[in-house]
Amino acid sequence: MRREYGWRSSALAIVFGFCAFLILGQMVRIQTSAEADIFREQAELFAGNWRTYYPERGRIYDRNGHLLAGNEQVYTVGVNITEMNDAQAIALAVSANLGLDFNIVYPQLLNPDGLTFLTLKDFVTGDELAPLQEMQRQVSAQSLAGNRPSPLAGLEFQPRLQRSYPEHALASNLIGFVNREGRGYFGVEEKYNNLLAGNPVRVWVPEDPNRAAELPHVPGGTTLVLTIDRDVQSAAEESLDQALIDTGAQNGTIIIMDPASGEILAMATTPRMDLNQFWNYSAYFNNAYEFNPAISMQYEPGSVFKILTMAGALDMGLVQDRTPFFDTGSIIVGEVNIQNWDRGSWGAQDMTTCLQHSLNVCLAWVSTQMGADHFYDYMRRFGIGHTTGIDLAGEVAGRLKMPRDDDWYPVDLGTNAFGQGVAVTPIQMLAAVSAVANDGRMVTPRILNSMVRDGRQFNILPSIAGTPISAQTAHTLSQMLATSLESEASMALIPGYRVAGKTGTAQIPVNGYYDPNQTNVSFVGWGPVDDPKFLVYVWLEGPTSSPWANETAAPLFAEIVQKLVILLNIPPDFIRLQTASQ
Amino acid sequence: MINANVTNIPRFAHAYQQAPWRVQRQWVGAFLLAVLALAMVAALYLDVTARAAITGREIQDLQLQIASIQRTNADLQTRLATSLSTSNMASRAFTLGFRPAEAGEIHYLIVPGFYRPSAVMLVSSAPQSVTQTLPPEYSESLFDWFADLLGQPATGLAGVTP
Repeated sequence: MRREYGWRSSALAIVFGFCAFLILGQMVRIQTSAEADIFREQAELFAGNWRTYYPERGRIYDRNGHLLAGNEQVYTVGVNITEMNDAQAIALAVSANLGLDFNIVYPQLLNPDGLTFLTLKDFVTGDELAPLQEMQRQVSAQSLAGNRPSPLAGLEFQPRLQRSYPEHALASNLIGFVNREGRGYFGVEEKYNNLLAGNPVRVWVPEDPNRAAELPHVPGGTTLVLTIDRDVQSAAEESLDQALIDTGAQNGTIIIMDPASGEILAMATTPRMDLNQFWNYSAYFNNAYEFNPAISMQYEPGSVFKILTMAGALDMGLVQDRTPFFDTGSIIVGEVNIQNWDRGSWGAQDMTTCLQHSLNVCLAWVSTQMGADHFYDYMRRFGIGHTTGIDLAGEVAGRLKMPRDDDWYPVDLGTNAFGQGVAVTPIQMLAAVSAVANDGRMVTPRILNSMVRDGRQFNILPSIAGTPISAQTAHTLSQMLATSLESEASMALIPGYRVAGKTGTAQIPVNGYYDPNQTNVSFVGWGPVDDPKFLVYVWLEGPTSSPWANETAAPLFAEIVQKLVILLNIPPDFIRLQTASQ
Repeated sequence: MINANVTNIPRFAHAYQQAPWRVQRQWVGAFLLAVLALAMVAALYLDVTARAAITGREIQDLQLQIASIQRTNADLQTRLATSLSTSNMASRAFTLGFRPAEAGEIHYLIVPGFYRPSAVMLVSSAPQSVTQTLPPEYSESLFDWFADLLGQPATGLAGVTP
């Protein structure tokens, strides 16, 4: 009996052993078979996948922490073909809720061309998607209750972030925009695209939960804090828009800068576009330089350029504020007769009244007295003909012909003195004049105040672009310009605040000749004169209400400054000086 | 005498030899013990692996949740900024009867010591908190724990200063 059991046990042991051996043999055979590589590939295929992690694009704030550019959640609506039960139901649902064409979607779902995930619509906002999500939820609940598969099974919504601009068109010219592929165009978005976008990381993501710790941490893009003050920007844009209506100008630019630090507080231009609808770009702009004319549009500045000519002459010691000049109404420079803006003669003048009356003849005389070498050396020091280095994409350098250039003629020395025959950008003009408002030191204009990365905020320090004139010259010229405004009772004056500035009326060159019927008008001014807190440049293209800057640009300057002093908490001079003396 | 001893050896051997069934049971017992030990190790391994897998899956879910919350957070911040945008705030202010102040309507008060910050600080200047890490109980091995224990000074004297 016992032997019989022993035999049975042995037989069972042999059978189990043989099975085990077969299993082991089969394992070894599979591992070493010709199909082993295929199996390994399949295993690797399902073991994980390569994914590219795009970090959240860095946000952009104004100087007071108001969000100018953020990110909003959008969805990719698609169908997981392997889980799809009812193509017709899905096609009906998406056509009813997302406006897709049923006759296009339905055939695509029936013939997905080997795709496992078929994208039906991309960049769907949460609000657009809500009805479809609700429908899917209700249908799923009903199907679950009826113990049948949901007809909308397989319909998936994959969330992602896309750029969004809460202020829409505000400061659009300097912010720029980001396209669907995440690339920044124009302004800050283009200039700092690499910082904002962060570094996309492509990694192998294992499905094995034991390797969950291997999932990468992708830090977001750098957040930027701009020097722009949202409220000042809004006020400037509002004033500019109204000025275009009042003056009939085609376009305009206003830049407001802190002359001591170079921080741009506002940069308003026209036209502006809603950055959330960047695809309408071509409806607003024909050329790229039109996006932000403040840095990309070059033009003849006209009489505001006289500030630089006079600054050079004062700095050389060639003239002083009371140096007399007898204006005969014309001067010959390079065998060309130069006349005043009114073709009149103004008789006995001095350098202050030359600026006050904006006499071309006087300034042409000043430049010829300086000589071409000195005059152009000063213009070079003021940065004319070079980019300012502002941290915005698309800045152009303008053009200043030099005596050694082929297209320079001796008359250019005279005409350049009052802003003809030279091309500048508004930001270039502003940067040059900052030397006069800032004790002779010219600052580099900048938009970026600080950047935030890895939990730390890095402040950007002001940069001095040069010292083209002495502090004494700057003070003298400031007083001259303030006096000239007061003497002529300029429309640029602001009650309670002493400001200095200069108008500019420039005819527009067309095919080598100046159009007698159109002008560009401008005004550059700063204040308070004894301690400048703002430097404002106003430029209007082709006003129709009046061709003169003192009737168009000067009042606009005054209007902006009246808003500015309130927004920046700058008290009237008598209060400020009273406080300082306490 | 010697012959008597020699003839007794098989008898002694037979007397001290274990019964065949007893030997067989010992082998079976040893085998079952080995199987039991293997089963315990396998069960333990399976348990630990299952726990690790569950935890790993939870980590993956949490990471997905974090990503989702970050997206929602970004979305809500943008929506909030849209609600507080200049145009919205201005229209709301007008609706409530406010209007922009004129220059002559403003009274300036001098506040000694007031300093207007030049720009917003999005990040606190205070030192960042130390990054939270897993306690050693979750990462150190038994050997590490024992080595640390040996390396530590006596608890009673550690904090005593003369």
